[in-house]
Amino acid sequence: MSTPELVTVTIDDRAVQVPKGTGLVETALAAGVEIPVFCYEPRLGPAVGACRMCLVEVEGMPKLQAGCTLTAQDGMTVRTAQTSAKAADGQNATLEFLLVNHPLDCPVCDKGGECPLQDLTFRYGPGRTRMTFPKLTFDKPIPISPTIALDRERCILCYRCTRFSEGVSEDGELVTVNRGAQSMIATFEDEPYRGRFSGNVIELCPVGALTSTQYRFLARPWEIQNVPSVCGLCPVGCNIDVTTREGKVKRVLSRNHPEVDEGWLCDKGRFAFSHPHARDRITEPLRRVRRRGFEELSWDDAVDEAERMLRAAGTRIVTALSGSETIEQAYALGKLLRQGLGAHAAVLPEETSTALDALRLPLSAIRDAELVVVVGDQPVEERAPVVDLWLRAARRRGAEIVTIGPTGSIQTPPGSAPQVCRDLAAENNELGRRLRGGQRSIVIWSGPDGRGGEHIAALAHALGLADVAGSGAFYLPDTPNGRGVADAWSAVADGEPADPEPIALLIVSGDEAAANPGVRALAERAEMVLAITMFQGLAVGWADLVLPGTSYLERDGTYMNLEGRVQRLRRTVIPPAPDELAWLAKLAGRFGVELSPHPSLVFEDVSARLFGGLAFADIAATAALPTRAKAAPRPPLPEPEPQLGGDGLRLLRYRSLFSGAAVERVAELQFQRPAREVEISPEDAAAKGIASGNEVAVRHNGTSVALRATLNRRLAPGVVRIADEHAGDLGARVEVGRA
Amino acid sequence: MPLRELVLEGAGERDLTKLGEYREVGGYAALERALGMDPGKVIEEITVGTLRGRGGAGFPMGRKASLIAKGSPNPTYLVVNADESEPGAFKDRQIMGTVPHRLIEGCLITAHGIESRSVFIYIRGEYLHEFEVMRAALEETRGADLLGGITIVLHRGAGAYICGEETALLESLEGKRGQPRTRPPYPPITGLYASPTQINNVQTIATVPKIIELGGAEFAKIGPQNSPGTAVFSLSGNVVRPGNYELELGTSLRELIYDIGGGVAGGRELKAIIPGGSSVPVLTPEQLDTPLDFDSIAAAGSFLGSAAVMVIDDRCCMVQLALRVSKFYMHESCGKCTPCREGTRWLVQLLDRLEGGQGTQADLDLLDSVCARMLGRSLCALGDFAVYPVSSYMEKYRDEFQAHVDEAGCPFGGESSVEGILAPVDQHSHHKTVEVPA
Amino acid sequence: MSPQPLGSLHGFAVTFRQIFRKPITQQYPEYKRPLYPRFRGRHRLNRFENGLEKCVGCSLCAAACPADCIRVVAAENTPENRVSAGERYARIYEINMSRCIFCGYCEIACPFDAITLGNEYEISEYSRDDLIYTKDMLLAEPRKRVTIQDPELFDTPIPYYRAKA
Repeated sequence: MSTPELVTVTIDDRAVQVPKGTGLVETALAAGVEIPVFCYEPRLGPAVGACRMCLVEVEGMPKLQAGCTLTAQDGMTVRTAQTSAKAADGQNATLEFLLVNHPLDCPVCDKGGECPLQDLTFRYGPGRTRMTFPKLTFDKPIPISPTIALDRERCILCYRCTRFSEGVSEDGELVTVNRGAQSMIATFEDEPYRGRFSGNVIELCPVGALTSTQYRFLARPWEIQNVPSVCGLCPVGCNIDVTTREGKVKRVLSRNHPEVDEGWLCDKGRFAFSHPHARDRITEPLRRVRRRGFEELSWDDAVDEAERMLRAAGTRIVTALSGSETIEQAYALGKLLRQGLGAHAAVLPEETSTALDALRLPLSAIRDAELVVVVGDQPVEERAPVVDLWLRAARRRGAEIVTIGPTGSIQTPPGSAPQVCRDLAAENNELGRRLRGGQRSIVIWSGPDGRGGEHIAALAHALGLADVAGSGAFYLPDTPNGRGVADAWSAVADGEPADPEPIALLIVSGDEAAANPGVRALAERAEMVLAITMFQGLAVGWADLVLPGTSYLERDGTYMNLEGRVQRLRRTVIPPAPDELAWLAKLAGRFGVELSPHPSLVFEDVSARLFGGLAFADIAATAALPTRAKAAPRPPLPEPEPQLGGDGLRLLRYRSLFSGAAVERVAELQFQRPAREVEISPEDAAAKGIASGNEVAVRHNGTSVALRATLNRRLAPGVVRIADEHAGDLGARVEVGRA
Repeated sequence: MPLRELVLEGAGERDLTKLGEYREVGGYAALERALGMDPGKVIEEITVGTLRGRGGAGFPMGRKASLIAKGSPNPTYLVVNADESEPGAFKDRQIMGTVPHRLIEGCLITAHGIESRSVFIYIRGEYLHEFEVMRAALEETRGADLLGGITIVLHRGAGAYICGEETALLESLEGKRGQPRTRPPYPPITGLYASPTQINNVQTIATVPKIIELGGAEFAKIGPQNSPGTAVFSLSGNVVRPGNYELELGTSLRELIYDIGGGVAGGRELKAIIPGGSSVPVLTPEQLDTPLDFDSIAAAGSFLGSAAVMVIDDRCCMVQLALRVSKFYMHESCGKCTPCREGTRWLVQLLDRLEGGQGTQADLDLLDSVCARMLGRSLCALGDFAVYPVSSYMEKYRDEFQAHVDEAGCPFGGESSVEGILAPVDQHSHHKTVEVPA
Repeated sequence: MSPQPLGSLHGFAVTFRQIFRKPITQQYPEYKRPLYPRFRGRHRLNRFENGLEKCVGCSLCAAACPADCIRVVAAENTPENRVSAGERYARIYEINMSRCIFCGYCEIACPFDAITLGNEYEISEYSRDDLIYTKDMLLAEPRKRVTIQDPELFDTPIPYYRAKA
């Protein structure tokens, strides 16, 4: 790329050089001058110039100009409110007009204290009002969804929220209705705003018009602490600020990492933070007492009990990891079990492929791509929601997005992704040829799990994407830190797993592992089960010893996201039970293993083996992506597994974004959870005489699930799609009929 | 000066809505001639003719066409602004209702000139009759194979004044909320569907066939040098013979009102003249000899606008008129930018209080200040349009405003003639009564 | 002999002179000096005449407090449970009197005249816990134990909420 031409702009008598075409607001910032704005937000697309807060005087133009809509041109001379009385009057007038119908209920308003309208009025606005008429009133507050409250009186109609809905998340659910002073933000027909990213409008709102119902009246800005951390609910690893007051998490805000999330956050990450306060949270160790139930025991006893179980089991231990542990926790667990006991057997959350390291890209590279091919059964937005926003941004920039899967733009049956990879890698494949020839081609694997990373890496290597700087591959795992956990576990020792059968002890680490049916099957064969979990009802039914787990909001440590970026989690609140690392260190001491209870020291140990000695303190608030690894010799494309035969429709299970232990425990998010329905293609529905909305029975091998049918035009014929939580024990082939 | 009909030529004698009749008076000959010319030559003729846009701004059409981005990968569009909504203006209505083929011919010639294959005519929603006439005329044209592969789309608006603003019109045409866009980029570069777009008023386009017929140089000789040609003046208000009159530009206001319009009705005294639709500053009887062309009216401190001349007699209370006009702009403000959205409502509140007799001297000063703070700060011209009448009435009829304060009420009582000039405010509301703040 | 015999005598003269004067000691608590009208004593939270609390729980008092002794936790009014006039009210309002320096900044910060400093100063307790005043205590009528100087004697503006009393 050629370096852009530099132009000189004079702002308030200060000359500044910026690349031609830079927005005037940014140009002024470079000169150290503030141009105040309300509606301007470059992430929402082109400037609209609606609020008129940014009025500046430009030499050669008779009228005041909206600074946000201008770009830097050579020789431009601009005067802001600092040096131009005309511009100052213009901005003062804008604020006066904005406040004409804005209620002065700042003491009641949640935005009070962190409100751009307050701040700018203080600096640029009139000190007193000249408005002596009754202000415009609307009904308020209106819950536009269970998570967002709308106060139309406070709205200054900057259109940030509707522009987000239309131009970023592209759900189009938030619109403006009516005209003039009566204009108001609304959802269509007062339906709740169901978008996956709806919460971002709360942060975009420059006044208190859109507020979070969860945070409503809970705290004021001077009573809170914002802790920078990372979201631990999906593999994207969006950067967040966690607001706490009096030792409790009150809200989660996005924190802009331009390469990872661009300041967007999905509703799961934003609103699911209250799960640590769920009623069924386990805060004390529990021991099974002769089938009668559980008794609480002290931590000293619990560690003794755990030691006894470990000693009794010896090497016949299987450890099931969740992929939500921090790198330090997984390493500590590994060190205790593998070094202390020689118990190497583990159920890892992900099969990882180091071949992907040579294809590494920041997520923001998707936006700049020319051609993106998404392969897999699971929709990207359910698995790694912010990646979906990057894909949409790419499409808006003119990229072609091809999805290949049961609901894709190219329809294939479930489980065919490995075959698709082989097809794309073939010399004569048209799409593969274009990927190969492109300068910015990206391939993404989105489920099923298993050896997906290997498949997509092999495909990308076969297409030569590793040799092109702007091209690469992503594997979207199912768990937030699956890669980090697997790497940390394997970094501990090289020992080959000895045969653990018969399993003496199964260690279930974390809620995701506890919810995994495979792990549950293992538990039935194990003599003893030790579970580390946050909630009753996950592992409690079948565990012999339950140790309380902690949430990502309560831990210090590191996560590795799907790009391979190591990011820092910070403890935002003190957990009700000791951190895993604390008792693991204690336990390790009893087996002669040296283990620190401090994440920073454990990370040093891991880092020496995995991250080239990266220091804990050097992980920046917005963490850097490690450089691309050297391209390895091309790995062979793995053989696809044989497809299941049989009659009936193929069942495609999917994990909704709004599912899992955390979401289930947040009342405000219940409306987002998948409905009890089975999606069916119009062709199959017609063949079976099913209409949308019919009650149907989905049968498999004697089991039957009653669901409501809904037609999905994007679904491949021969496939039905059911959310995991409603699919029960249904197998891969099902029959669907009217109930 | 006599009437000089170019656009409406022949409409008085014949039914020119019929293709056959229109052809008999030489219709579509100009199209034939234009099609024989190089596209660049067509635009050159228009440029030589100095055809200034008749929609209000008076921007030369030829220059507009020359700004169209060449070499764009997107198609070029021609959009005709037939969303005539300015209070007092009804010239496009007559053009479309009586000489639809002249407009269609103009569209086809212009489309040839700018090498466009698609023409959109955005017609005001309330103009149902004119829409039907245009549609029938278009059917005839299509039947007679005159379109030459060009698609002309008639699009009905949904009743918003703001959609007469060119960028709001384009937004509305794209199916979005009718709100103006920021400029630049201007429509010739990024217009409809982000493509180069020529957008002109009905009368401008309907004049094009005459320019081709007469030749640009000949056309330029009609009327004053800087704004040649004719305009259809919509004369209304307290005048004996209201109606549309096509005159050469440069005709004086006195000729229009007294010689053609028959003077003020009922032998009353002339009090004020609004020369270009309700949005422009008012002129006083002393300015009666101002010639009606873009530059002369501008020199007199107003705008020719859409050439809608409103005559106001001495019964009219200027505060009442200002209030009535302000209510219109409050109702029609799109709500996108702050000064217009909030300012128009505030103006109505203040004027309402003055008219009601509760106004104070401070309110009068505030009115001045609000006008000054709105002017030139809004996104599109509507914010200014809402200010011009109020501030010009305040400037030229200050005594009347002062009297409302001093006498704690309207000195005119019920004698006002506002209702003869403008329709009652409720006629403008389609779905909801107009909010009149307490 | 002291080096400055005369100086010492001068000093003692002051002492001796006092012997014959009337003592100025006031017998507190039997006698309580009348207070100045603007004396800042223990706080009270005010109500509207219809019984609704004036406080909306905005925490501005807590922000203004230099001793950090005010804790406010707000909640939302519902039609069933309407506590204050606005949308929100103070669910918890606590002042730690053992930390309070009675500067009156909370009173100045309050946008609704909900908190005012009264005249009561006899608020010692045997336990520090008892010095944490809850909302109920602050809303209660203060015990009138102290007389106030006639406000007419002072050239001070009397706040309207006290003018009636």
